[in-house]
Amino acid sequence: MTASTLSAPRARFDFRKLLHARESGVFAALVLLFILGTVLSPNFAQSGNLLSVGQQISQIGIMAIGATFVIVNGEIDLSVGSIYALAAVSTGMAIVAGMSWPVASLIGLAVGAFAGLLNGLAVVLLGVPSFIVTLGSLSVFRGVTLLISDGAPISLSAKLPGVTEFSLLGQGRLFGVVPMQLLIFAAVAAVGVILLSRSRLGFNTYAVGGNQEAARLVGINVKAVKLTAFVLSGLTAAIAGVLGLSFLSYVQGVTGTGLELTVISAVIIGGAALFGGSGTMWGTIIGVIFIGLLQNILNINGISSFWQTVVTGLVIVAAVAADTWQRKRKTKA
Amino acid sequence: MATLPLPDDSGPTMSKQMTPPPAVTIRGLSRSFGPVRALEDVSFDVPVGEVTALLGENGAGKSTLLKILAGLQPPSGGSVSFFDREVTAFSPNTMLTEHSVAIVPQELSLLLDRTVSENILAGVEPGNRLFPSQRAMVQRTIALLDELGLRIDPRMPVRELDMATQQLVVVARSIARGCRVLILDEPTAMLTPAESDRLFALMARLKAAGTTLVYVSHRMPEVFALADQIEVLRDGKHVASWRADETTPQRVVAAMVGRELSELTTRAQSGARPIPASGAVPAIEIKELSGTRHSSISFELHPGEILGVAGLPDSGRVELLQNIFGATKGTGGTVSLGGVPYANRTPSASIEAKLAFVPGERRAQGLLSTMSVGDNIGALTVRAFTRLGLIRRRAFDRGANERAQALRVKTATIDQPITNLSGGNQQKAMLGRWLAIDPQVLVLDEPTRGVDVGAKSEIYEQLFALAAEGVAILCSSSDLPELLTITDRIAVLSEGRLVGIVDTASATEESIMTLATGAVSTAA
Repeated sequence: MTASTLSAPRARFDFRKLLHARESGVFAALVLLFILGTVLSPNFAQSGNLLSVGQQISQIGIMAIGATFVIVNGEIDLSVGSIYALAAVSTGMAIVAGMSWPVASLIGLAVGAFAGLLNGLAVVLLGVPSFIVTLGSLSVFRGVTLLISDGAPISLSAKLPGVTEFSLLGQGRLFGVVPMQLLIFAAVAAVGVILLSRSRLGFNTYAVGGNQEAARLVGINVKAVKLTAFVLSGLTAAIAGVLGLSFLSYVQGVTGTGLELTVISAVIIGGAALFGGSGTMWGTIIGVIFIGLLQNILNINGISSFWQTVVTGLVIVAAVAADTWQRKRKTKA
Repeated sequence: MATLPLPDDSGPTMSKQMTPPPAVTIRGLSRSFGPVRALEDVSFDVPVGEVTALLGENGAGKSTLLKILAGLQPPSGGSVSFFDREVTAFSPNTMLTEHSVAIVPQELSLLLDRTVSENILAGVEPGNRLFPSQRAMVQRTIALLDELGLRIDPRMPVRELDMATQQLVVVARSIARGCRVLILDEPTAMLTPAESDRLFALMARLKAAGTTLVYVSHRMPEVFALADQIEVLRDGKHVASWRADETTPQRVVAAMVGRELSELTTRAQSGARPIPASGAVPAIEIKELSGTRHSSISFELHPGEILGVAGLPDSGRVELLQNIFGATKGTGGTVSLGGVPYANRTPSASIEAKLAFVPGERRAQGLLSTMSVGDNIGALTVRAFTRLGLIRRRAFDRGANERAQALRVKTATIDQPITNLSGGNQQKAMLGRWLAIDPQVLVLDEPTRGVDVGAKSEIYEQLFALAAEGVAILCSSSDLPELLTITDRIAVLSEGRLVGIVDTASATEESIMTLATGAVSTAA
């Protein structure tokens, strides 16, 4: 038999590999979008504008990090908008009840993670498809949120103890420049990147998403991997919810309705396939930035928000079409 | 050969010989995918009303050629003519309607929830197309199936038929559309001998009715029994062409692999079979094991021994292996490894206990299909290379790379997606994956399904080497010549029961089939 032609283990950094990576297409589109924005409006490429885009995408971005784990698993979580509100309302009520803001925030995060755990348990133990489970829990969590808040909005008055500090999470800027929310997004994203691309959990996530049965036969605990993904999704939705409360000092039962669609869009634009097993955290991050810049460009050029909705929808389909076309070419090659 | 005057309109391209125009004329056919040349300047004729076998290793270009013939893919250069009419538009529809060419693919495309007659006549329904009369359709189907000598209930939903019968339905569907050239892509790969015989009978009938058949297979005895003409592809080129009665299996295989392949030494000939000392502890001992489609199965297997498992596809072979490994839960009986009882079997416990399982359904159960070659090979080393939850990637890759080289997995780099590899190399990767746990007992199902000749013998050699190191190997296969080549003993299952364990040295395909079909039962 002919000698095999294996290369040495890959170098740490390979520029060609970077160009060939799945994210390169989205990244190129992002660069084009940036150029387009610069050409259309002189206000676009100002650091002030870009930092406010950073502020705007942070919550979606944080949720998308968790959602990527779920989607790479080959599952979907439609309930993140509801978990966002549930966590925000829980934290808000805890603050109003006189708890210190760190404890109240932790309560919100715990509630979100627990909601995610319930989603995961229903998927794993009952064997109901996650689309159905989370379509149901989207409604259940929203209903619970309305029930516990009695449908009334929660306002955090600055007179309550700790609210001034709590507000810094969402409204503060490091050195008066960089939004705190953006920093928190960066931190969550960094953890997400490491977890998905470097950790054993990440390896198992790709394995399960690509071929659940094969993953099971190599001893991977498929149920645990899926549960973890749903917990992460619930937790990141809760982080975003708590930040949202901090930013506005205000939350009501219907806050965050429809967020799940933006979150899933960002992940899909970033190159993950709904079949599971593919997609990267970097892709998701690029997808989030893409959506943020797109909306910003439409905004500063005075295009109505109705058109923004239309354009965002078209971009999602175009992104997936481009990806499908590229993959077809690849399999033929 | 009689010399008749040529008809005037025969055209200048027609050969001067007095034969009818060939069914298929392939001239200078090429197909490139980027820099890869899958087919290079291939030219040959397929004679009318004969069976032509198209042979080649995986990656030789057979699939590409078949896809072009079926209109699923256009060529990059060259031409294809059917009955002297050159194909101008490569689409499956044109091929069928204009040229009467149909393909029976490996992955059958049937409407599983529709009946046999609806499938056969879909698109060519008699009478009113929008509201076809069920009765007319059933009658038409019965007539057609009769003509083909097939006994299938036309009202049966296709989902309820076994795979072999579904395949026959696909053939009937092609014939219902007036196909004159039928292309069959490895039709026997998944069939039992009896099912294959049924297909061969149908092929013979079609041939007698004047249909031209082009057929792909890896099984040499079958090819020589069926084919009139043999065409061999290697690395995208047409390398050999014979009348079947003018060549030998050895010469065909040599043409396929590009070198003379020494006849494989069988285990029986090599005398490698270990003789366990009396009272020695077996590597694995199974007592009264029961589960899905198998019951009360007992045998033992000693270090260095290779035990085959034979039986028809529904004999419970696969279920037995899955039960032993812990992929499914059994209902009773015990498994002991090296004398230690092994209860509560699960995949992860088996990995711990150095019990390896290479499943037969590679695509469904083996490949981590979206991951790289390296990740696939290293899947069982992830735990060992993890520190604080993070994988030490460099060490992990080095390990995977070493194993890929040891098993001669042909891949550009281990970063390639596993799905880019040929079946043989995928299978070597699957084997490599399990060698990482340093197995004491290696359980394999269909170790060379969809694997080309060259890779096959490499896998056999690997198994022999493992046995020589003292690994106990339990290997199930539907390929009897394979079991006769690589095993020391063969356990034969029939309808979920162990009907005998035979010494390979004294076994024949016939003796095993007799047991497997339940014709005779001998004590184990």
